[in-house]
Amino acid sequence: MIAHALRRLLGMVFTLAVSSLLIFGAMYAAPGDPVSFLVGDPENVTPERVAAVRAAYHLDEPLIVQYGLWAAGAVTGDLGTSFQYNSAVGDLILTRLPATLALVGYACVLFTVFGVALGALAAVRRGGRTDSAVTAGTTLAASIPSFVLAIALISLFGVQLGWFPVAGLGEGLLGRLHHLTLPAIALSLGSLAIVARVTRQTMAEQLDLEHVTAARASGIGEGHVVRRHVLRNALGPVVTMCGLVTASMLGGTVAIETVFGISGIGSLLVGAINTFDFPVVQAVLLYMVIAYMVVTTLIDLVHPLLDPRVRAQGSRA
Amino acid sequence: MKDRRSGPPAALAAAGLLLASTACAAAPVQTTLEQSPTTAAPAGALDTVTWMLPEEPGTLDLDGEGGTAQNTVMANTCERLMRMTPELGAVPHLAEEAGWEGDDAVVLRLNRAATFRDGTPITADDVVWSMERHAAEGASEADEYANVESIDKTGEYEVTVRMAQADAVFLPAMAGNGGIVYDRRVIEADGDAYGTPDGSDACTGPYRLAEWRSGTQVILERDEGYWNPEGAATTDRVVFRWAEQSAVVNMLATGEADGAYLDTAAAAVPLLRDETVQVFQGPSTNVWSLITTERGGLADPRLRRALSLALERDGIARAAFGGLAEPWSTPLGPGGWGYETARFRQAYDAIEGAPASPAGQDLERARALVASAGAPEEPIVVASDGEPARTVIANAVVDAARTIGLEAEIRTVPRQQYGSFYVDADLRSQVDLFADEYWISKNDPVGFYKNGASDAGVNYSGFTDPDYDELVKDAQAATDDAERAELAVELERRWSEAMVWIPVVQVPTTLAMGSHVTGAPASAAFLSGPWAAGLGAREEGER
Repeated sequence: MIAHALRRLLGMVFTLAVSSLLIFGAMYAAPGDPVSFLVGDPENVTPERVAAVRAAYHLDEPLIVQYGLWAAGAVTGDLGTSFQYNSAVGDLILTRLPATLALVGYACVLFTVFGVALGALAAVRRGGRTDSAVTAGTTLAASIPSFVLAIALISLFGVQLGWFPVAGLGEGLLGRLHHLTLPAIALSLGSLAIVARVTRQTMAEQLDLEHVTAARASGIGEGHVVRRHVLRNALGPVVTMCGLVTASMLGGTVAIETVFGISGIGSLLVGAINTFDFPVVQAVLLYMVIAYMVVTTLIDLVHPLLDPRVRAQGSRA
Repeated sequence: MKDRRSGPPAALAAAGLLLASTACAAAPVQTTLEQSPTTAAPAGALDTVTWMLPEEPGTLDLDGEGGTAQNTVMANTCERLMRMTPELGAVPHLAEEAGWEGDDAVVLRLNRAATFRDGTPITADDVVWSMERHAAEGASEADEYANVESIDKTGEYEVTVRMAQADAVFLPAMAGNGGIVYDRRVIEADGDAYGTPDGSDACTGPYRLAEWRSGTQVILERDEGYWNPEGAATTDRVVFRWAEQSAVVNMLATGEADGAYLDTAAAAVPLLRDETVQVFQGPSTNVWSLITTERGGLADPRLRRALSLALERDGIARAAFGGLAEPWSTPLGPGGWGYETARFRQAYDAIEGAPASPAGQDLERARALVASAGAPEEPIVVASDGEPARTVIANAVVDAARTIGLEAEIRTVPRQQYGSFYVDADLRSQVDLFADEYWISKNDPVGFYKNGASDAGVNYSGFTDPDYDELVKDAQAATDDAERAELAVELERRWSEAMVWIPVVQVPTTLAMGSHVTGAPASAAFLSGPWAAGLGAREEGER
């Protein structure tokens, strides 16, 4: 068990090291030059000044040296200093993270609760009108880009009806919920559709299995059958899907944050890319890699708890 | 002279999104707003005003970096030796008397009533320390001090600045970030934290910096102990938040935000029909120009003039700016005419070669110029980054070129790369023209036209004229306004004759405020004067 955990940890560290190098290389290969932002006033641009700025930010060093400087800091917990904000990258990320986590958390609740509920409903009413409606609805929902939905929601519920605020985070729990409702809906609708479809599919498979027929035959109520025998056994793939969707959301809030004026990780990343704020870009992308690894690890840990069959396989391994 | 192009292209990135999100605005319409530097005085006070910035300030240490966001905030808390008026002139402020003594010294006599936050008087020592900080190598305002040889305390409340040569723009510059007077004790106590979210405010002004919550908001509170009752703030608190322009427009429309100086004038178009929001425009120096590069396709001034004659500026103003920009004939907006305004206006009206909409005779003249100069072998290349205004301008250039028998094509570079045109000669060598919004922070045409000198950093086109260089030197040294104005007019005439850059449209400062708010200047003065002090309720009982 310890060996397994250790192997897993080493794998994660290796992944991080490789991805950090790739991200670093990709940023430097991208067109454009941070000097154009660092040097400021174009009328002060002289070759000497450009060279001085390059030297001050180590931009004149070879890529591998720059990476080394960064990595040396990173292993001691120093992610560097933002070119744009002139403050520690770690602090910048920490101040932006709560907004993104709140948004993703809210969206998770929405797509999990409503996605599973709709999927289950469709599975139970398979072939009926409800099933068709859910299938059609989720197909439509999955095809709308989140930022288009966001704009439509703002226009209707924000600007015209005035029910929800159109931007910002709000104060206090209720204020935050109020402010994040539209962004969370916009962010979660596509995922909700995916989760509903996965739920429907796996439950439909379960419904056809013998043990369900047997349970029904033994006179157990339909509600109980669905909850204990169908939904329970279908949870594995559903939880996996929810986890993967959440992991992708942790780095995919860019458009929503921009449209709703939320200062989160996504808008930090966009600003950093536009201004070549390399230390920030590097750190945010690494955060995304880490978030993905953490979520997938959590799924792996939760999976055996939900499904005894996985647990049994795990013990044999 | 501190001159800057507009903020990073990122500021414009949301324009496409903006048009989508405010789709009800339909197609851009021809709109003209009457321009005024001020808005009506308030009838009452407000508790809190929420004001939107185009982005979060990177730092609040203006010696570290100036910029629209940080200046909008700090102009209210950090007062300067001179003060900028809404009309964009500079008047004495913390230095109640400021003037030249001979050609080589500026004497500043301080207002003895002025105090810092804790009531300590502002003395010559504070001014000397602050000026030396501004002048330090690497400070963003160091170039204002290029001619300064020494800064000395010559009395408890008197400072004498000795200059290597007369520098007419030095005093107006003291209304900008280079004229801020700091409380050195605060900055020294803050150390590295100064200017960051953990720092404090080290100045004097009608507002004090109450809080900067990184990623969320910056809050200013009225300074109850402010020494200057005439300039005291009406409104208790100003909360600054930031978002993309589309979100800013939505927040203004729903009343979540009370006001904003808009980064892109076109953003105001959907607000024009909104009764709960008022839109104002006032003088600025901002002009979209086609900046010529060293590539050489347009090396002959006759070709540059020809292209200018054929450019459909009126169409650009309508298509790219919803009519909220104005076809313009010089690379400097009227906000740059900080003195002798009538003379500058008269000279501007005499400028030819940049029609709003080319008439038949303009095109004939243009074709004749092309015929005499000969078309370049390769097509003219104009840069774009796909951003709406640049796309419209680039297409207009191609269209104008075709009309007069020149070939032109558009080269699109990534948005993030566009700013590199100013620093990367290799990139410039790939295009003949790149369109950008350019503004200067001081309201003196000399501050712009010095860019035509043969050694100027942004004179890429190879325009050289020894007489021009001489005129720049004379103008910079001419401390008499009328004399300097004449020199500036001559510079403007020569620049336009050679069409060093091709002017396109002038973009006034665009201010949007909820209908319950008033009192902010509508001019570029918001970048350097305590504009928020004037904010208040439009009608009594609105609070």
